[in-house]
Amino acid sequence: MTSFTTFYLSRIIGSRVYDAHNQFVGIVKDLFILPNYISEGVERPLVAAIKLKKGKTTLIYSFDGFVVTKVNGKISVACEELIPYDQEKLDDGVFLGEGILDKQIVDLNGRKLVRVNDIRLVSVPTGTFALAVDIGVEGLLRRIGLAKPLKKFLLLFRVTIPAKFIVWDDIEAVDFSNFNIKLSKSHKKLETLHPSDLADIIEDLGKQTRLSVFEALDEEKAADVMEELEVEAQIHLLENLSVAKAADVLEKMPADEVADILDELEEEKAEQILREMEKDSSEEVRELLEYPDDSVGSIMSTEYLSFNKDNTVEEVLAELRLKKPEAEELYNLFVVNDKEKLIATFSLRDLVISEPNAAISEIMKPSPVHLHDDQEINEIAEFISKYNLLAIPVVDKENILQGMVVIDDVVEDLIGKRKTNK
Amino acid sequence: MFKNKKLWSRIGLFLAILGPGIITGSVDNDAGGITTYAVSGAVYGYNMIWTLIPSFIVLIIIQEMNARMGIVTGKGLADLIRENAGVKITFLIFIGLLIADIGNTTTEFAGVAGSLEVFGVSKYISVPLVGALVWILVVKGTYQLAERIFLIFSVSLLTYVVSAIMGHPHWGEIGTAIVHPQVEINSKSLAMMIGIVGTTIAPWMQFYMQSSVIEKGLEIKNFKYSMIDIVVGCIATVVVAFFIIVACASTLHEKGIQINEAKDAALALKPLAGEFASQVFAFGLFVASIFSATILPLATAFYVCEAFGFEAGIDKKWEEAPEFYVLYTIILVLSVLIILWPNAPLIAISLWSQVINGLLLPVVLVSMMLLVNNKKIMGEYVNKPLQNVIGWGAVTVLIGLTVTLLVMPLFGK
Repeated sequence: MTSFTTFYLSRIIGSRVYDAHNQFVGIVKDLFILPNYISEGVERPLVAAIKLKKGKTTLIYSFDGFVVTKVNGKISVACEELIPYDQEKLDDGVFLGEGILDKQIVDLNGRKLVRVNDIRLVSVPTGTFALAVDIGVEGLLRRIGLAKPLKKFLLLFRVTIPAKFIVWDDIEAVDFSNFNIKLSKSHKKLETLHPSDLADIIEDLGKQTRLSVFEALDEEKAADVMEELEVEAQIHLLENLSVAKAADVLEKMPADEVADILDELEEEKAEQILREMEKDSSEEVRELLEYPDDSVGSIMSTEYLSFNKDNTVEEVLAELRLKKPEAEELYNLFVVNDKEKLIATFSLRDLVISEPNAAISEIMKPSPVHLHDDQEINEIAEFISKYNLLAIPVVDKENILQGMVVIDDVVEDLIGKRKTNK
Repeated sequence: MFKNKKLWSRIGLFLAILGPGIITGSVDNDAGGITTYAVSGAVYGYNMIWTLIPSFIVLIIIQEMNARMGIVTGKGLADLIRENAGVKITFLIFIGLLIADIGNTTTEFAGVAGSLEVFGVSKYISVPLVGALVWILVVKGTYQLAERIFLIFSVSLLTYVVSAIMGHPHWGEIGTAIVHPQVEINSKSLAMMIGIVGTTIAPWMQFYMQSSVIEKGLEIKNFKYSMIDIVVGCIATVVVAFFIIVACASTLHEKGIQINEAKDAALALKPLAGEFASQVFAFGLFVASIFSATILPLATAFYVCEAFGFEAGIDKKWEEAPEFYVLYTIILVLSVLIILWPNAPLIAISLWSQVINGLLLPVVLVSMMLLVNNKKIMGEYVNKPLQNVIGWGAVTVLIGLTVTLLVMPLFGK
C-alpha cells in the first residue's frame, strides 16, 4: 500500500463501486472539486464529493467515505461509508467531468486556450486532489480507449506518444456555463496575463463566455484589454455589456481609442454610452468624433502634458510625480503660451539631466515640428521617420495645441490590425 | 455629431456581411457536383431538374441553422460537438470527415486534371502545379486575400449559363419537365436523385458555414442580412446546377451520348455546341475544382484541430500550429499523389468518399439539430416549432435517402 495513488479522471468515470461487504453501490459519474480548498496552508483543488448512479437514481456523496486504490495498474474505487453531500456546498466548486473535461481552459504559461482531454488526480492521506490537466494526444487516445494497445504497439518501434500536462496552478477555467456566479467572480489568475494575451484569448472564446470573462475583470484591466481587442469583439462586448459598465470601462481608456470604437457602434448605443460617461471624458470623445476618419485629428491622443516656458525643471518634475502620466504621454512634453498656442517642445531626457532650478525656456526646442488636425493620416508616417520622433504635437488652424500623435497609433495604422482568420 | 451614413451604412453593412453563404454555396458546386449534374443531364435530359427544388429548400434550412448557431454562440460546430457529445462521437465524426475529405480532395484534383486536359495540358504538369499554388496561397497568404479570390471565382461559375445557352435548349420542354417530370422510378434513377441532393449537402460544409460567420464577427441583430446572403448563396448553387444540367441535356441527351465524368461532358460538347462552349464548360470545371481543392483540405485540417484542441488557423505561424499545417499538407499531398498514381481507382475513391459522406451526414445533422434546440447553448434562439418540423423532416428525408443509397447495392442494382 503506497502512501499516494495517481490516477486519471477518465479511468475512474464509469467504474463500479462496491462497499466493504462487496455490495454494489453505484457507477461513478463525476467528481466534484473545491478549487479554493486550503490544505497545509496552500490552495489545492480537493475532491470533495462523488456523483454515483445506481439504477435510475443519481446521488452525490461526500468523498470522505471513499478510497481510491491501484491494484496491478487497475484503478478501483471502494466505498467505506455513504455520507450524503450537502447540496448547499455545491455552489463553491465544480464537477470535473461536467465543467472542465472537454472544455476550453486558459493555459496561463502558454497564454492560450487549450482543450482538456483528461485530468490527473492524486490520492494522499490528507485527501484526493486534482494535480494537472492532460491536453496531449495520449489523453485523447486514453479517452477513446486506444491508449494502452497503441502504446504497446508503438513500443515495438521505440516510439512514444507525447504526453502534455499543465499543472493545476497554471490553468484557469473560463467556461462558466456550468459554474455559478460565485466561482466566476474569482478568477484572479487571468489578471496576471498581459492585456494583449488576454485580448487574444477573449477573442477565441464563445460569445457568452467572452462576456462573463470580460465582466469579471476589474475596470483598469478591462480597459487595457478592450484597447487590444479586434473591432468585432469590441463591438460585441459593448453591445452586450450594460451601458453603465461600458461607460465605466471606456472612461478609463484614451479618448482617441474610445472615439474609434464608438464610431463603429450604432449611433443610438454610442449616444447612450456617451451620456453615461463622465462629462469631461465624453466631451473629449465628442470633439474627436467630429474629425473625418482619415484625418490626423481622428487618431490623435488628447492626453498630453503642456507647461509654461517659465516653469522650472523642478516644478515640472513635481507635477509629473503628482499626475503620474502614462508612458506615452512622456514621449514628448509641450510648451504653450497663455493662449494655449504651441511654442516649443522638450524631452524627458532634457528634463532629467538639467539642474532643478533651470527654466524650461532654457531646455526647450522652439518652433517644433507639428501636424495640423485636418491633415491626412498617411502624411504622418513620413514625419515620424524623417524626424525620428515618438510623438508629434497636433495643432488647429489657430496654432492651438489639440493633442499629439503617438508612434504606436501610426504603427498600428500602417501595419493594419493583425487579422485573426480561420 | 455622427456623419449621416444611414443608407450607405446599410449597404456597407450588407456588403460586409456578404460572403459566407455565397462562398459556401459556390464550394457546393465542386468537381463531384458538376459531374453529378452533367451525368444526370446526359442520362435523364431535363427530367431530373425538379430535384433541385427540394435540394434548395433543405440547403437553406440547414445553412440558416448553422449561421444562427455560429452567430449566437460564437463557437464552431466542431467545438460544440466536442463539448456536448463527448470524445468518442467526436472522434468517429472527425476520423470519418478526414477520410472522406481526402477522397473528396482527390476528386477535386481529378477535376483540375480533367478540365486542363481539355485545353491539352497533361495532368502530370497541371496537378502538381495547382497543388503547389493552392498550398502557397494558404500557407503564405491571408484568409482575406483567399476570400476575395473566392468571391471572384464564385462569379465565374456563371460561365455555365453561357455553355447552356449555346446548346440551344428547348425552354418549353424544361418547363414541362419541372412541373411534370417523366422518370421511371428504379434503383438507378433513385440513386441519381439522391446524388443530386447529396452533392449539394456535404457534411464538412456545415462546419465551414458556421466558422465563416464567426470569422466575420456577425451579430444576431443583423441576421436578416445574413439570411439574404444565405438565400443568394443557395440560389446561386441551384442556378449553376440548373444550367449544367440544361447544357448537358440539350446536347448530349438529345444525341444519346453517355458520359462518366465532367471532362467527358466538356469534350462531347465540342462537336455539338462548338469549341467555345466546350472550353467554357471546362473552364467552369477548372475554377470549381481549384476553389474546392483550396477550401476542403484547409477546412478539414481546421475542424479536426478545433475538435481535438490543437492550435489552428492560417493566421498562426507554422511553429505555433504544427499539427494544423502538417495535417493540411498531408491531405493535399496525398490527394495529388493519388491522382498522379498510374491507374489509380479514381471512380472507386470518389464512390467511397461519397459513401462515407453519406454515413456522416445523418450523424452531423442530428448533432446539429440537438445543439440548435439546446436552451443552454442557444438561449432564446432555439428552433421555433415550425423550424423543427421542417428541420427534422429534412433530416429524416436525407437519412432515408442515404440509407436507401447505401443498402441498394446489397439488393443488386
